[in-house]
Amino acid sequence: MRKSDWPCFPVKLSPKRRQIYRFLVGYFFLIFVGMIWPVYPLLSRIRPFVFGLPFSLFYLVVLLAATFVALLAVYMWESRNDEMD
Amino acid sequence: MEAWVVVFLVTLSYLFLSLLVGLFSGGRASDTAEGYVAGDRTLGTVVLYFIMGASIFSAFAFLGGPGWAYSRGGAAFYMLSYGTIGLIPWYFLAPRLSTLGRRFGYVTQAQFFSHRYRSRPLSALLAVVSLAGLLPYLTLQMQGAGYVFSVVTEGRIPVWGGAAIAYCVVLIYVFRSGVLGVAWTNTFQGLLMMGLAWGLGIYLPYKLYGGILPMFEALEQKVPEMLAAPGLTDSGSLWTWGGYSSAIGISAMGFSLWPHYFMKIFTARDIRTLKKTIVFYPTFQIFIVPILFIGFAGIIAFPNVQPADTILPHIVTSMNLPALAVGLFCAGALAASMSTGDAILHGAASILVKDFVRVVSPNFMSGSKETTLIRWLVIAIGAVAYYFAVISEWSLVYLLLLGYGAIAQLFPMLIASLTWRRSTPAGALAGLGTGCLITLIWNLYPQLQWQDIHPGIWGIVGNVLVLIIVSLVTRPMDAEHVSQFIEKE
Repeated sequence: MRKSDWPCFPVKLSPKRRQIYRFLVGYFFLIFVGMIWPVYPLLSRIRPFVFGLPFSLFYLVVLLAATFVALLAVYMWESRNDEMD
Repeated sequence: MEAWVVVFLVTLSYLFLSLLVGLFSGGRASDTAEGYVAGDRTLGTVVLYFIMGASIFSAFAFLGGPGWAYSRGGAAFYMLSYGTIGLIPWYFLAPRLSTLGRRFGYVTQAQFFSHRYRSRPLSALLAVVSLAGLLPYLTLQMQGAGYVFSVVTEGRIPVWGGAAIAYCVVLIYVFRSGVLGVAWTNTFQGLLMMGLAWGLGIYLPYKLYGGILPMFEALEQKVPEMLAAPGLTDSGSLWTWGGYSSAIGISAMGFSLWPHYFMKIFTARDIRTLKKTIVFYPTFQIFIVPILFIGFAGIIAFPNVQPADTILPHIVTSMNLPALAVGLFCAGALAASMSTGDAILHGAASILVKDFVRVVSPNFMSGSKETTLIRWLVIAIGAVAYYFAVISEWSLVYLLLLGYGAIAQLFPMLIASLTWRRSTPAGALAGLGTGCLITLIWNLYPQLQWQDIHPGIWGIVGNVLVLIIVSLVTRPMDAEHVSQFIEKE
C-alpha cells in the first residue's frame, strides 16, 4: 500500500498490537457489564466488609483498580516496544 | 478575631493565589487563536492530568456527591462507576484525534466533525448543542460558589455576592491567559480539592463514629438499603436497576464528549503525554470514595438536612472545626466550582467563535481579531450565566439533564467518524438530530418511561439506527477524503 493511502496513520497497528487492543476492548466491556444490571445486582451486597467498605463499594474500587492496571500495562508495553505513535 | 473573619480571609487568600497563578501562566502562549484556545499544543502530563481531573469534578461532584450519598445511599455509586469507564474510549481514539488536530489545525470538537463530514450545518448544530449544554452547567457552578460563600460567612455575604467575587477572578485569568490560565489554576485547584476530599472523608468517619468500618456497621443497623446499589430515589423509595444502569451508560458516553473537555485533546504536547494522562486518570477518580464517605457520615449524625446537597457545608459549619479548616473547606469547594467554570467559559467562547461565527460568516474577521472576540465573549457568556445564576428562576438541573442527554448523542457519531468509512454527512446529521429529538420528547412526556431507563438511552438507540440506515442509502463520501481519517481495509 502506498504511503499516501493512509496519510494520518504512517504506522499501521502491528498484528500483535491489534490483538492486544481487541483483548482490551473485551476486557473493558466486561468491566462495564460488571457494574450494571444484570451482573452487579448479584454482587451488590453489604457483607462481607472489606477494608471497612461494604462489599458493594469495595467491588467497584476493585473494578477501578483493574481498569488502572490494564491501562498501565498496555501503556508500558507500547512504550517498551516503541509502538506509541 | 471572629471565626467568620478568619474563614473569609483564608478564602480571599485562596482567590488571590488563584489569580496570581492564572495571570502569570499566560505569558508563554502565542497571541494566536491556537495559543489562546489550545495553548500552542504544548501541555505536559502533570498539567493535563489536573485539567482533566479538576474540570470534570465540579461543584456538582463536590456538593452533589455527598448529597447523593446522604439522601440516596448506594445510588451515588453510579458516580464512581461511570468515571471508571468514561475515559477509556479516549485511550484508543484520542491519539488519532490529536494527530488529526495537529495536521488540520483543529482546536474545537466541531472543527473535527465538520471537516470529517465536510458539513457546515453540522458545525453550527454542534455549536448550538454545546452551548445549550454548557450554559446551565456554568450557571450551576456559579450558584455553587455563591452558596459556599453564603453558608460559611453565616449569610453575611449573599449568594449573588459570593458568585460575583469568585467569578470575577475566573473572568480575569481566563480573559488574560486563555487555556494556560485554566491549566495552571486547575493544577493548583485540583491539589486543593483532592487534599480536602481525602482529609474530610477520612476525618469525619473517625471523628463521628470512630472509623470507617464502625460507620458502615452503624449504617447497616439503621439503613441497610442505603449501603448497596441501586440505593434510593429522590423521594426515598427504592431506585430501580434500570434507572441505575442506564444512568451509568449515558453518563459514561457523555463523559468524554463534553465539548470543553474534548477540546483538551488538542492541547497535548504529544501522544505519549495524552496516553499517560488517560492511564493515570483513575488515580484522580478514586477521590469519589472519600467524597461518598462524607455523605454517609452525615446520615446518622445529621438527619433531615434539607436540601441534601448542603450536607457538606452543613457538617463543616456545625462541627466546631477550627476556623482555618472551615476556610480551607470553603477554598476547596470554590476550587471545585471554579476549575470547572473556567474550562466551560473558555470552551464556550471558543466554540461560539470557531464553530458558529467563523462558519456562518467565514470572512468576518482576521486571525488576531478572532482571539479578541473570544476574549470578550468570555465576559459576555459569564454575564449571561451570572444572570441565570442569581436572578432567573429556571430549573437548571432540568436543563442540565437535557444537556447531558444531548451531549451523549455525539457518541455514535464519534465512533462512526473514526471507524466506519461508509458513514455519510446526512447519516451523521440525521442520527444526531433524531437522538436529540427522542431525548427531548422522552423528557417532556415522562409517561413514556419504562423501567426508569434514562431518556438518552432511547435517543442513542434511535440515533444509531438512523445513522446506519441514512448512511447506507446516501452516496458514500469521497474515498480519498475519508482515507485521511480511517485507513483502508
